[in-house]
Amino acid sequence: MTATTAVNSAAGNTADIAAIERFLYREADLLDNNDLDSWMALFTEDGTYWMPVAPDQQDPHGHISILFENRAVMAVRAANFGHRLAASMEYPVRCSHLIGNVRLLALDASSGDCTVRSNFQAVLYYREQRLFAGTYTHKLQRVADGYRIEQKRVDIINCDANHKSILTYI
Amino acid sequence: MRQNSTLIATQRAPAYSNTALAALVEENRVHRDVYLDPALFELEMERIWGKAWIYVGHESQVKNPGDYLSTTIGREPVLMVRDNRGEVNVIYNRCGHKGAKVVAKPCGSATMFRCPYHGWTFHLDGKLNATPHKCGYDDTDFDPEDPQFSMQKVARVESYRGFVFASLSAQGEDLKTFMGATLETIDNMVDRSPQSEVEVVGTCLPYFHDCNWKMFFENLNDAQHPMVCHASVGVATRRVVKQLPQGAAVPKEVEIIYPFGSSYEFFDELGVSVMARGHSFMGGRQSIHSAYAEIPGYMDSMIAAHGRERTEQVLGSNRHNTAIYPSFTIKDAVQIIRVVRPVAVDKTLIQTWHFRLKGAPEEMLHRTITYSRLINSPASMVGPDDWDCYARMQESLHSDSAEWVDMRRYIGREQSEGGITRASGTSDLSMRNQYRAWSDYMTQGQQ
Repeated sequence: MTATTAVNSAAGNTADIAAIERFLYREADLLDNNDLDSWMALFTEDGTYWMPVAPDQQDPHGHISILFENRAVMAVRAANFGHRLAASMEYPVRCSHLIGNVRLLALDASSGDCTVRSNFQAVLYYREQRLFAGTYTHKLQRVADGYRIEQKRVDIINCDANHKSILTYI
Repeated sequence: MRQNSTLIATQRAPAYSNTALAALVEENRVHRDVYLDPALFELEMERIWGKAWIYVGHESQVKNPGDYLSTTIGREPVLMVRDNRGEVNVIYNRCGHKGAKVVAKPCGSATMFRCPYHGWTFHLDGKLNATPHKCGYDDTDFDPEDPQFSMQKVARVESYRGFVFASLSAQGEDLKTFMGATLETIDNMVDRSPQSEVEVVGTCLPYFHDCNWKMFFENLNDAQHPMVCHASVGVATRRVVKQLPQGAAVPKEVEIIYPFGSSYEFFDELGVSVMARGHSFMGGRQSIHSAYAEIPGYMDSMIAAHGRERTEQVLGSNRHNTAIYPSFTIKDAVQIIRVVRPVAVDKTLIQTWHFRLKGAPEEMLHRTITYSRLINSPASMVGPDDWDCYARMQESLHSDSAEWVDMRRYIGREQSEGGITRASGTSDLSMRNQYRAWSDYMTQGQQ
């Protein structure tokens, strides 16, 4: 992004924040409904979903992550989700997201592209109920009909804990 | 409720006689109690995990004096630490005073260890340094040289090409004898580096399993499961590839996922090889990793370092999951190890560690990382299906409708040569072999 300006809360464009919040709620709603095909379509062609394993992780390529997926792998996951041949998928996956504290970290005034951080809590029910919480960092591209996700980084506060299976995107 | 005294008496008496232990393992099946009975788990901690060489860590994780890594051997908390003379020590992570865990961080660097409770300090080799306000021990028989007041060293530590193993038992064979032909897998992984050296990259990927540790271990060379258990991800991948526009590049992830859906015939042809002490591996010349695309610059760097003949020899060996019983499994061709940390009879932690081939293009590491995310991560589309099947066994083996778990596939159709026994890949041979070792360890050779 060129001409990127850091935006503090006082300087934030309130109209944009409201639109961004609506976009984030819609994204979370698609995950809550296990609609991975529609969810995936919110990403740019080269968009990625990243869940690091270390709190300060900078590199998704040269260090292991819990998840780092491009559109191709997202498509495989959407096709695999709920598949009758997958043992793990015989159990229901249900999720409920709550998003708040949405703030603009950076805004490209000319294109409208921006980086947005929010806090989330996601209660996931898969075999047992589990709570995930942390921050989302969305790099968003402004397009004619709203936004597309260049990257969604999910920092769960227990990223380095001993996790059991995680069956869907948080 | 039992009286306390009865409980203590029960704990002290062996829960199983050697005859009873031997009766749990037959030639072609094992009794379900090996997965279910907490008393057998306790005995395993003592007789298997307390005797065998257990993987601790890699020397590259403790490069400098004072660097340490915290882990467990069985359920014993230990630290791997490099001391000021450059030696790698493995010491119990237990204060010699009141028994508190001295170090809680998974890794770090220290000049000395200090217990946060009463401030006893210990040298990097675990020896007691000082106790505060030591006049309190004047006129007592406190002896600072007595090992009970130190963070004691585990009985034996040995390292092979940087891979550090320890045994809690003072008696027993050396590491090389224990490893046998599995040493070649470690050699192969290390020799895939143009500098003949590997190093651990970053933190591990942990995955907590709701199953007995042996279920994970038996699955390593179980080639009857991939085409069933991992069928869906293969089907899903094929569907995505089919929908690609004409001429579009096939995603690089596909070459990693596809082989998991290979046929029974493919895996039978790979073959499974087993040896003494429960160790095994699949493949040899060929494996599910052998059709990977070449990464630019890698062959050139290998040939420059080792020559063409040696390079072809190293890269021509392709083993899949060399399982070093009971704690360690290694994929030489993708530079990944997984380490087994048993927690309880039905709880097991698996840690995946990733290695850089020193001197190789960084894209080799990127493939290692991609492989692990796609196959080993708790959020992958492969590991969770294995996980689920282990959990299903752990759940339904409680059913009183049957007591035995079958392991007779391809029995009697093995060939042995030079200490290695080989069978078709979808044989249960590796499991039968693991239980021969289990029986030897558990009965201490006295059945």
